[in-house]
Parts: sequence; structure tokens; C-alpha cells
Amino acid sequence: MSFKLVWQLSIRNILRHRRRNLMLFAAIAVAVTGVSSMNTLIRGMQYGMMDTAVENMTGHIKIHAPGYRDDPNIQKGFALDEDFEPPVPAEDMLGWAARIRIPAVIMSERETRGVQIVGVDPSAEAISFIGDVPIEGDGLESTDDGRILIGRELAIQLETEVGRRIVVITQGIDGRNREKGYRIVGTYDAEGTALEKMYVFTGLSSLQGLLDSEDVTEVSIRLVDEPKRLTFKQLLVGFFSELAVMDWLELEPMAAAMFIFADSVIYIWFALMMSALTFGLINTLITSVMERVKELGMVRALGMPKRMVLIQVVVESTIIMAVGVVIGLIGGYLVFLTIEDGINLGAFAEGMEMAGIASVLVPVLRWDDFILVAWLSLLLGILASLYPAWRAVKVQPLEAMRR
Amino acid sequence: MSNTVVKCEKVEKTYQKDSVPVYALRGVDFEVNAGDFVSLSGPSGSGKSTLLNVIGGLDRPDSGEVTVDGVALSGLSESELTELRLRKMGFVFQAYNLIPVLSAQENVEFILQLQGVPQAERRERAEAALESLGLADMSHRQPGELSGGQQQRVAIARSIVSNPVLLLADEPTANLDSGTTEDLLGLLRRLNEQENMTIVTATHDPIVMSYTKRQVHLRDGAIERDALAA
Repeated sequence: MSFKLVWQLSIRNILRHRRRNLMLFAAIAVAVTGVSSMNTLIRGMQYGMMDTAVENMTGHIKIHAPGYRDDPNIQKGFALDEDFEPPVPAEDMLGWAARIRIPAVIMSERETRGVQIVGVDPSAEAISFIGDVPIEGDGLESTDDGRILIGRELAIQLETEVGRRIVVITQGIDGRNREKGYRIVGTYDAEGTALEKMYVFTGLSSLQGLLDSEDVTEVSIRLVDEPKRLTFKQLLVGFFSELAVMDWLELEPMAAAMFIFADSVIYIWFALMMSALTFGLINTLITSVMERVKELGMVRALGMPKRMVLIQVVVESTIIMAVGVVIGLIGGYLVFLTIEDGINLGAFAEGMEMAGIASVLVPVLRWDDFILVAWLSLLLGILASLYPAWRAVKVQPLEAMRR
Repeated sequence: MSNTVVKCEKVEKTYQKDSVPVYALRGVDFEVNAGDFVSLSGPSGSGKSTLLNVIGGLDRPDSGEVTVDGVALSGLSESELTELRLRKMGFVFQAYNLIPVLSAQENVEFILQLQGVPQAERRERAEAALESLGLADMSHRQPGELSGGQQQRVAIARSIVSNPVLLLADEPTANLDSGTTEDLLGLLRRLNEQENMTIVTATHDPIVMSYTKRQVHLRDGAIERDALAA
């Protein structure tokens, strides 16, 4: 069979109806541009949710004592050796931090709130949101820092400010309450007010001193490549056999569900857009076949095998789809370039925060998404051509030529 | 070795038209020998086109046997019939039936491409065929840019370029004026006489019949007269 002939006939037949096929190219291109652009936004939202979840004191992998998550207090802590380092290769790890995170009550002269007090080593907290938030006043300086850093929103609620004193009450290692007065070293401005209301920070050693314990309640690890979390989680499970080792998907189930859902949304969106388009393509191909019935009958009479007729229609459809897809992907890439720096969704900040999405939506281009769109579109192009091709093959030479 | 190219034995074909059987061929016995130039004539509905289609493997008889170049068509599948048409037959249709998206030369090359003939040989043979029919200057024109007579010449070039055993022509001059008809018939006669091409043509045109060596007249699906030209 001559593929050159099939190719030649397919190309010529596409060029034969330039205007009609230009419209079809445009329709496919617009749909593919829409799908691929939307994919970058969905990916941006997905990765934004992941980053928010991971930066929200979670990390990619976290270790704590069994039962801590049900009843977080210092009695559910665990000791780390002074020279402890996680057994993860340095090149695979952005950083790690040991912390105490326990519930506490914070009181100003005027208001009282429930919060989580977090004892941190400030030099290790580049892996969490507190490492790069804007701070009014000063940040914590060391693990021995006995001052407190609170959220801006909490400061508003407590009707206090930088430099003023507040009192924190929490439970020590012996189960008795500990109370300490802190001077507010600064107020941080996090992405959304929920974090600002929830977390207050002080030096880890300072908090350990208050609680009469050398323990920490968690070790959080941030990796370079998120997909490697399962490998290193397995490694850490072996290393911390007595402790609970969980990844961010287990620790943040809602964010995890949204993350997985985003994958499905990409397919659903693709299916919706491209299915509508596929019917248009089928319709055009059927029209094209029906217009050429006599011609198809003639070439069959002259000796063109059925499979060649079938392949010709499939190739025509695939070429139309391929051209549309290439234009569409270029369009999608151009759209991505124009919104690469992000779309400010500040007006919807409250709602976005609830969903764990940053107020600036930064699109993420994944080439594998582009390739997936290309392959699935070509597959649809082939599928769309099967019925018209079958119609073409069913043409009986004699009947067709009598028309 | 027999020089019979076509042999029809007791060929019958009936069509249903509005649930009424129409007897297109009634037990036709008919032979064409190599080098024959045969016209199948008769009034409308006499069965001449049906007989031509049955010989060309485009239609199957209800009973009887058709043999082309020693191959019995009844035993062939549809794809085998297609292959037989490709390898052994050339077709010229009433409405020229060129492929509109191909140039004159590409139309002629079309059959050779289907046969898998290498490009250089294909081009050479197509050019020779077009030249022999006086179309050398028209080879790059699209069918729409050619007159009816030129299109039919291209169709003849396409039908003979692969050196078929049998050339079947269905009313080849029906859409042509008398001058062009005479030219074309002269061409078919030359092919028959010089190339020894076996030609069977269905026609109702006395001019066409006058150019053939043998005239077969059908009526009501049966051969009424089969005579050599005077």
C-alpha cells in the first residue's frame, strides 16, 4: 500500500475545502488553547494548595509520637539526639525543623484566645511559612529567644501590639499548667488570617524550659522533589520505628483530596471540551465523505483497497486534529506566558484561603500535560474518523458511481 | 494456451425494482478473445452496462460464471476482485471520473501507485501514456482545467498505463461532441490495432459501434446479435 498516495490524497482533500477546514482548525485550536490554559491554572491551583499545605507547618513528611494528633501536648513528645539529622540525603532535602506545637491560651489585658504555641529554631524555619512572612517589629533570633511572635490578626483580636506583654498558659510535662509572660517581639502577616489567629511562635529551648521537657512534638522535613516523599517516608518509617511518620497527604486530607481531585478535573475538562469538538469533527468528516461518495466508488472500482480508503479518512482526520492541536498548544503556551506571573485573586482572598489556595494564582506549565492533551486529542481525532471511515468503506463502487 | 480473455457462461442477473424483478441478464453466454474490440449495444435496460459491470467484477451475477484471463470471478472475495481489477483491467467511465484533487499526470500515476510501481518508473510510464494521447502539455493541469475530451483522454491514459489485459469502457463518448468522439474512437482503435489491447465498450452510439471489430447487440438481457463488423 502506498502511504505516499494516502498522504497526498488526504492533504489535497483537506486543502480542497480550505474555508471549512480553516474553521475546523480554528475550533480545535481554540478548544486546545482553552484546555491547555485551563490546565496550567488548575495545576497552579493544585500546586498552590500543596505548597500552602506543606508550608503550613506540615512539610512533605512529618514525624511525631503516636497519639499526638489526637491529643497534642508535650507528654506526646519525643526526644532527639543533640546531633540528630534526618536520614535523608542532603541534596534531596530543602530542610528540616524540630518543633514543639501544643495548644495554649493567650491573654492580653483585654482579650483571651485559644492558640497553638510553637517552639521553633528560627534558623530552621525557612521550610515553613513563618520563614518568609513580613514581620512588623522583629523576628525571633534563636532557639533560646524567650519573646513571642504573634499573628497580626491575633494582635488585633487581643487589642495589643508589638512591645506589649501577653500571658500564655499551657500544659507542662507533668500535666500541670505553666504560665509565662511574653513580650511581643513582632507581628507577622501571613497569607490569610487563619494562620495569624492560630499560631504564636517562641524559641524552642525557651518553650522546653517552660514545659520542663527536653522533648519535641514534631520533626518536619521538606523535600526538593515532592514525588520522592514516598521513598523517603519508607526510609523514615524504618528509622523512627516507634514514631508515626506521615506525609502531607495524610496530614492534610482535605488538601490531599483537592490535590487528587485537580487531576480528575483536568481530564473532565478535557473530555467536555474535546467531546463537543469531536462531534463537530465527525460531522465535517461525514460531510466530506458523503460529498465524495462517487469519487470513492470510482477509486474502489479502479482497484483501491478498502483499507486504503479507511486509512485515508483516518489520516485526514488526524491531520486536521494535529494541525489544530499544534496551533492550540502554541496558543496555550502564549496564554501561559501572559499570565505567568500570576493572577491576583485578592478580591476572593477569604474564599481562596478557606480552600487553602493562595490569593495570587500562579499557573504551572507541565509539559506532560501538554503532551497528554496532544496525544488524547490525536486519539480523539482517530476515534472521530472511525465512523466516517466506516461509511467510506461501505461505499459500493457501482452504486456510488450511479449517483 | 487459450486466447480467451473473457468468458461468460449462462450469466443471469435480476434486480428488484419496487418489488418487481427486472431481468437484466438472462443466461448470457459470451466470449471475448485477446485483441478483440467489442461493442455492447442495445436499448436502455437491455443489459449492456450490467454485462460490462459483471465482466469488470463490479457486480456479481446471480448465477453462471464469469472468467477473466482465466480467473473465475465467482470464487473471489471482494478484496480479491478489487486486486483483480487493479492488476488486469482498465476502466473508462462515461463521466471521466478523474480524481479532482490530482493533476492529469497524478491521475495517470494513481493506478501505478496502487500497484506499487517505483516513482521513477511510474513517472516515466505516465508521461509516455500522456504523450501518446497528445496530452504532454496538460500533464500538470487539474481535471477542472481540462475540456471533456481532454479529461476522457486522461482517463484512457490512466486505464492503459498499467498495460491491462482488458479495457472496459462504459459509454466513453456519451458526454463528448462528435468531433471529440471521433478523435477518441480513433485513439481506442489505434490502441486495439497497434497495442493489441482488448477492449469492450458499452454504448448506444452507432458511431462507436462503427469503430469496433465486433458488435454485440443485447435486448431484454439476452444477446440478440453478435457479429463481426463488415
